[in-house]
Amino acid sequence: MIDIAFFLAFSAILFGIGMFGLISSKRGLVTLMSIELMLNSANINFIAFASYSGNADGMVFVIFTIALAAAEVAVGIALMLNAYKIQKTTEVDKLSTMRW
Amino acid sequence: MIGILEYVWLVPLVPVLCFVLAGFFGKKTPQGGGYIAVAGALIAFVIAALASYDYFSSDYWAANAPYVAELAWMKVGRFTLNFGVYIDSLSCIMMLFASFISTLIFIYSIGYMDDQAEKKTRYYAEVSLFLTGMLGLAVSSNYLEMFVFWEIMGLCSYLLIGFWSFKHPNGDEASINASSAAKKAFLVTRLGDVCLMAGLFVLMYMVGSLDYVDVFENPAKIADQYGNMLPVAVLLMFAGVVGKSAQFPLHDWLPDAMAGPTTVSALIHAATMVKAGIYLVARSFPIFVYCQDAMIIVAVIGGVTAIYTASMALNNMNIKRVLAYSTLSQLGYMVLALGSGAYLISMGMESGNEELIVLGGAAYVAGVMHMVNHAFFKALLFLGSGSVIHAVGTEDMRHMGGLRKEMPITAYTMLIGCLSIAGIPIFSGFWSKDLVLEAAFAPFHEGLGAGSIFMVLFILGMITAFMTAFYMFRMWFMTFCGKERGHCHGESPYNMTVPLIILAVFATISGLGMLLIDGNAGILQSLATGLSGTFDGVVNALPHFHDGIHTIKEIFMEIPTYVALVLAILGIGIAWKLYVKTPYDAEAFKPENHGALYNFNAKRHYFPELYNWISWKFGAGVAKGVNAFDKYVIDGTVNGLSNTAVGGGEGLSGLQTGYVRDYAGLVAVGVIVILAIFALIFVYGGGF
Repeated sequence: MIDIAFFLAFSAILFGIGMFGLISSKRGLVTLMSIELMLNSANINFIAFASYSGNADGMVFVIFTIALAAAEVAVGIALMLNAYKIQKTTEVDKLSTMRW
Repeated sequence: MIGILEYVWLVPLVPVLCFVLAGFFGKKTPQGGGYIAVAGALIAFVIAALASYDYFSSDYWAANAPYVAELAWMKVGRFTLNFGVYIDSLSCIMMLFASFISTLIFIYSIGYMDDQAEKKTRYYAEVSLFLTGMLGLAVSSNYLEMFVFWEIMGLCSYLLIGFWSFKHPNGDEASINASSAAKKAFLVTRLGDVCLMAGLFVLMYMVGSLDYVDVFENPAKIADQYGNMLPVAVLLMFAGVVGKSAQFPLHDWLPDAMAGPTTVSALIHAATMVKAGIYLVARSFPIFVYCQDAMIIVAVIGGVTAIYTASMALNNMNIKRVLAYSTLSQLGYMVLALGSGAYLISMGMESGNEELIVLGGAAYVAGVMHMVNHAFFKALLFLGSGSVIHAVGTEDMRHMGGLRKEMPITAYTMLIGCLSIAGIPIFSGFWSKDLVLEAAFAPFHEGLGAGSIFMVLFILGMITAFMTAFYMFRMWFMTFCGKERGHCHGESPYNMTVPLIILAVFATISGLGMLLIDGNAGILQSLATGLSGTFDGVVNALPHFHDGIHTIKEIFMEIPTYVALVLAILGIGIAWKLYVKTPYDAEAFKPENHGALYNFNAKRHYFPELYNWISWKFGAGVAKGVNAFDKYVIDGTVNGLSNTAVGGGEGLSGLQTGYVRDYAGLVAVGVIVILAIFALIFVYGGGF
């Protein structure tokens, strides 16, 4: 059996990539993708712990998370499409009409 | 007993209601609220008269006890401050003459202020409040309450002296003059008020209460226990009197106060304001008598004021200014009598000599009685001068003359006032002035320690009596005799002359009347009330030592009486010789023909300059220092604090960029820092 540390390390790396993408990218779609990566890194942790402890609770959580992420992406992409329609861009820095 | 005594608090309350009514609704009533003010003063007088009658027929009077009713006002630590009434014969006399004379002055005002249109409302509201101040002061049951009313009067005098500071009938220069006179009155009396407040603090520290009842309960114990602190308190309180009653060296605001309407001058000089200081001395007599040396100072200030200010009246050409100086001089007399009386009683109590106490009682009577008589004849004189000014349109006596035929009622009522103040027998001023002079003479006569000082004061008083007779008749002769030097509108309307006639009657009879109805015994009763706490025996019997007939006989058996009388007649004669017998010499009145002494006197001995010099050199320096402290230390602290808050806020607000990724980054950094701290704890702390 593979050591749990590998799963956790993989999840951490995935989370770090997502975090980096969220912080560094100016593009809206990349931001959404980065959030997706971070959610999935959390899912990996849930599943790893669930299978190691023999408890299915973590897997139930993951199903919820996937459903939530799907909904979030649907809303997010809809927002981005509309923003593109209005502002002709999806760069988050330029979507600053309501910024102080 | 008719039970009005319990409602004596209405006496100051009615005028204050009139102040509100006249102030808010006066414009809608005839005469701009004038009738409201008159009604208020009259109701106050009626209640005061009934309450006084009630008091004099009550058991309190028979037992030499005051009627006291108090409510707790506030509690500060172990001090309870009360608000109430303290009625003894002195309060009765004060509220009676203040409300009576004010009623007459208000009636007169309806005629005098008739042409003032809208400003009348303000005038009547303010004079009502002024009367409240005086009546409240008279019925107060403690020093703090008294101080509150004292300050109300200070405020009203400021407002009324500056009544014409916006639109003076005589032009802009006069209105500037009025506003600066108002400021001067306010600031100079303020100097005294601060001292009075300090004195009350010292008194409060010693007694633990400011109620008259507590203070007068055992002044001997306080004097023993605190040694030199009592004289400090007494002298500080007397400094308040010096400010309010315009004694030397704070006398200079009163002549300037003539910038107000003449009725206001009458009110300030006769019924309210300056009488408050004399009242304070008379009221505080029971503690004053424990400060022997301080009383010599009081008497000296009184005597010096009397002669010093009389000298300034000698050559003044302004009819109101002459009267103002004469008020100062008469106030000096009152202070002299009271100071001398306290000194006599003090010596008597020290040596157990009952005769001295009796003499001191006589001096106390002299001071209080002169206050009452002065109120009548000075109100008369001021209202008379107002009537003249109303008719002639100037205050300069050089433009008057020969008015006797044009306005006979004013002329002859004023003549009665002049005879009274000059001390001609039968008229009221004679009796009390004579008692004052006797009071000043007594310490020397009895061979007391400070007798020689009092002898000098007595001589000064005599010279003052001569000068008073001279300048009063100089005023009368210049105004009413000789050739006419200006035009005149004729006699004033009835609402002005009737008060003059009533006042003339009182200025004639009040002195003798008070003696005949044993008013002096009544006045002494308040002294006995105050002193009885510590010194029974002769003090309780004091009222019986001075029955009126006996006093009248005594007056005519003393040599000083005749000396004073001769001096007064001499003064009148010289005035007649200079201003009636000699034809009017216009040349002598021209400024270039004035001698150095004349100018020195006319410039009020350079006192205004001295005030200015002191305020510029000392006052302005202190003000600059305080201003710098305010600007740099207090404002600096406040501004520093606000700048820190604003700057910090601005700095931190830079973090709020509005970019989601910045917030995400901050959250990540925060999480990492917290995790790092946990990790450190875990590694170095050996687990949780």
